Amino acid sequence: MSIRAKAESLWNVDILGKNVLAFQRWQAERRPFKSSKWRTDILAEPLRIGARTKELIGLHYLEGRYANGHRPVAWVTSGGPVEILQALGYYVLYPENHGALCGTRRAVVDISTEAENAGYSRDICSYARTDIGSMLSGKTPVGKLPKPDLLLACTNICQTVLSWYRVLAKHFNVPLILIDTPFVYKEAPQHALDYVQKQLEDSIPTSEKVAGKKLEYKKLQQTLQLSKDATELWLEIMGRGKHRPSPISVFDQFIHMAPIVEMRGERVTVDFYARMLKELDERIEKGIGAVKNERKRLLWDNLPIWYRLRYFAEYLGERGISVVASTYTNAWGELAPLIDVNKPLESMAKTYIYPILNRGTQYKLDTMRRMIDEFHLDGAILHSDRSCKPYSIGQVDQRNRLIKEYGVQALLLEADHDDPRAFAEEQVAARLAAFVEMLED
Amino acid sequence: MDSIEIPKRIETINSFKAQGGKVAAVLPIHYSRALFRAFDILPVEVWGPPEVEASYGGVHLQAYVCSIVHNALSFLKKGGLEIADFILVPHACDSLQGLGSILLDFVKPTQTVAPLYLPRGKRTEDKQFLADEFRALARQLSNLTGKEPGDDKLLECIEREEQADLLLADLYRNRTGLGLDNLSFYRLIRSREYLPAEQFTELAQTALEKHSARNPNGIPILLSGIVPERMEVLKAIEELGGFVVADDFACCGRRLYPKGNERDPFLRMAERIINAPPDPTRGNSIDERAEFLINLAQTYGAKGVIFYELKFCEPELFDLPNLRNSLKQAGLNSVHIEVDIKDPLSNQVITRIGAFLEILE
Repeated sequence: MSIRAKAESLWNVDILGKNVLAFQRWQAERRPFKSSKWRTDILAEPLRIGARTKELIGLHYLEGRYANGHRPVAWVTSGGPVEILQALGYYVLYPENHGALCGTRRAVVDISTEAENAGYSRDICSYARTDIGSMLSGKTPVGKLPKPDLLLACTNICQTVLSWYRVLAKHFNVPLILIDTPFVYKEAPQHALDYVQKQLEDSIPTSEKVAGKKLEYKKLQQTLQLSKDATELWLEIMGRGKHRPSPISVFDQFIHMAPIVEMRGERVTVDFYARMLKELDERIEKGIGAVKNERKRLLWDNLPIWYRLRYFAEYLGERGISVVASTYTNAWGELAPLIDVNKPLESMAKTYIYPILNRGTQYKLDTMRRMIDEFHLDGAILHSDRSCKPYSIGQVDQRNRLIKEYGVQALLLEADHDDPRAFAEEQVAARLAAFVEMLED
Repeated sequence: MDSIEIPKRIETINSFKAQGGKVAAVLPIHYSRALFRAFDILPVEVWGPPEVEASYGGVHLQAYVCSIVHNALSFLKKGGLEIADFILVPHACDSLQGLGSILLDFVKPTQTVAPLYLPRGKRTEDKQFLADEFRALARQLSNLTGKEPGDDKLLECIEREEQADLLLADLYRNRTGLGLDNLSFYRLIRSREYLPAEQFTELAQTALEKHSARNPNGIPILLSGIVPERMEVLKAIEELGGFVVADDFACCGRRLYPKGNERDPFLRMAERIINAPPDPTRGNSIDERAEFLINLAQTYGAKGVIFYELKFCEPELFDLPNLRNSLKQAGLNSVHIEVDIKDPLSNQVITRIGAFLEILE
C-alpha cells in the first residue's frame, strides 16, 4: 500500500470531496426546483432524492479515482456476486454502470469509436465497446477510472461479459475470476447449484491473495445482510408503482437504480433507499403521480435506452401514460428472499443463478404477465435491444402472446441501450404513435 | 486432384434408421457423439444449414441474431428436422441459448428438445459439472429409447469416437499429401458431422492410404471462424491460388478432441471436450487462442490467416483485434471477412480473398 496514495485519497475524497458533494446536495435540496427543460406541466417534479443519488454516485466515482495504490480494485459484471469482494474491502467498479452513465451523458459514440478504430465491431455489445474504448483511450465523463487489480465475470447476465472480460484481462494483465452460472431453462438442477457454489468457494483464495487479507466470515454475513436489506427496500420502492397514480416511473427507477447495482452490501445504500421509500410514501399521501394526468399504465421490458430517457418520459407523459413497472429494474429486487445470511455461499449460489436474464423465455413472459396483473397495466413496451441478445431473443413470441393470449397491447421497439446510432428517431416516433393510438382504442 | 466418395447425409440417416436406430439433430458446437451412439442414436449436426428459406426463423427472431440460428429455426419450421427423434441445443452462445429456450417454450417441436450447458472454464469443477450435464442428458436419452447402457458400453462408444478423432487429426496432419482439393478435403472432414464413427474411420483410412509426399498446391493459408459456409468459398480460394492447410473452425479444427484418460465414462466425455483446442465459446483466453493459431500456422507453413466470420457472432468478434495483433507480431498477415450464411457467396468476398492472397504472394 502506498502512503502517498492513501494520503491523496484522504485529502481528495474524505476531506474535500465528501464535504463538497454534501454541501452541493444540501444546496440542491433547499433550492426550489426550477428548470426550463423539465416539463412540469406533464410530469411531477423530479424526486428530491435525486440530489442524494448525485452525491452518492459522485462520491463512488471519486473514491474510485483515488483507489489505486491504497485499496484493492475489482471490476465486476453487474450481476456479479460482489459480497465477497465488498467484505474484503475492495473498491468495486461496474463497467456496465459506467457504460450507462456514458449513455446518459451522450458520450458513447465518442468513446465507442475508440474501440471501433481498434478493430472492435459495432455488432458487439455497446456497453462493452464503451468500456473497451474507455480502457484504450482513458476517456470517461467521470474523470478517471481506477485500474483493476482483479476482474470478476459472472455469466448470469450473458456470455458476452466473459468475452468482454477476457479482453480486459489481456489488457490489464490481472487475474480474472469466472463465476459461470448455467442457464436456467426451467429450474436449476442441483448439480448446477453445486457448481456455482464451488466456484464461489474457489474465488475466495484469489480474492484474498489480491486483497492481501483473509475473508472474515462475520464480515461476509454483515455484507450479505446489507445487500439483502437494500434489495428488499428496492423491491418495496418498485412496489409503490402499484398505486394510482404511481409516485414513481420506470424512468425514475432507471436513474435511481445505480446504488443497488454498484453499491450493494454497503450501509449507505440501505439508508439511501430507506429515504427514497419515505419520499415515495409522502408522494402517495399527497396523491402526487410521476405523470400528472395518469390515464394509462405500461410495463417496460429490457434495458433502458439510456440516451433517450427524457424523450420517452415526455412523449408518453404528454399523453397521460405512465410507465410504472419494468422487468429490468425488478431483476435487482426479486431475488432478495433467496439471500440467507446463515448460509452465505449456498444462498449466494441460488441468488446469482436465478436473475431473469439467466432464465428461460417462458419465465420472462410469466414475469411480464404477473407484473401486468399486479400493477394493473394496460400494455407493454418491449425494447428489442441490439446489444442484449439474451434479454431480447424471445421477445417476438412474448409480444405476440401478450396480445393474443393476454389481451394487452404490446409494442416491440428496436433500438440499443447505449448506442444512439441504432436509434431511428422517426421510426420510433411513428411506432410509438401507432401504439398509443391502439392503447386508446 | 483425387476425390473420395462420401455418403450423403440423407442416405446415412435413412440407412441408420432402417437398422432400428434413432436420429438426433444436434446444433453447434460441442457435445459427446459417444453418448448418443451408446443409446443407438445417430447425432446429425445442423450448422445452419445455408440453403434454406430463412424467413421462417424471422417469425421468432430479430434480424440481429446470427444466420446459423435463423437458418436452423427456419429449417426446423419448414420440416427439415422431422426425420429427427430428438433435438439437442448445446449452449454455445447467447443466441443458441435463446434458440433452445424458444424451442422449449414457444415453438415446441414434436421431438424432445434438450439443452446442454457447456462450462466456460477448464477447472476441476468445470469437468465435474459437464460430466453431470452428460449424466442428465443420458437420463433423457434413456427415457426416449428405453435403453440403459452401462459403463462398458459407454466406454466402448467413447473409444470408437476417439479412434475416429485420431484419424481426423491424422487427416489434418497429412493434409498436403492427401491429394484433395480444398472443397473435397472439407467435405471429408465435415462428414464427421453426420457419419457414424465407424464409417468415418473407414473413409479416413481410405484417404490416408492414398497419401504421398506433395507440396501445397497454392499459397498455404489458415482459416478461422465458425463454419466454412457457403462451402463454395473453399473452391473460390483454390481458384484464386490459395490452399487451406489447416483451420481453426468451430465445426472442424476446434473439435479435434484428444483421447481421454478418465475411467468414468461421463468424466471421460467431459475431459475430451475441456481439453480440446482453444475456443472462445468455451472461455479460453485470448492468449491461448493466439498461441494456438501461431503454432498452427507455423506447423503447417501457413502464410496468412483468413478470419471467415459470421455476422453478429460476438464470441468471435471480441477476440479478433487482439488475435490479429498477435499474428502480426508473429509476422503473419490476416484478413477479416464477414459473411452471412443466408446470403450466397458474394463477389465482394471473393475479391477481398483474392486481394489478400495477392498480398501473401
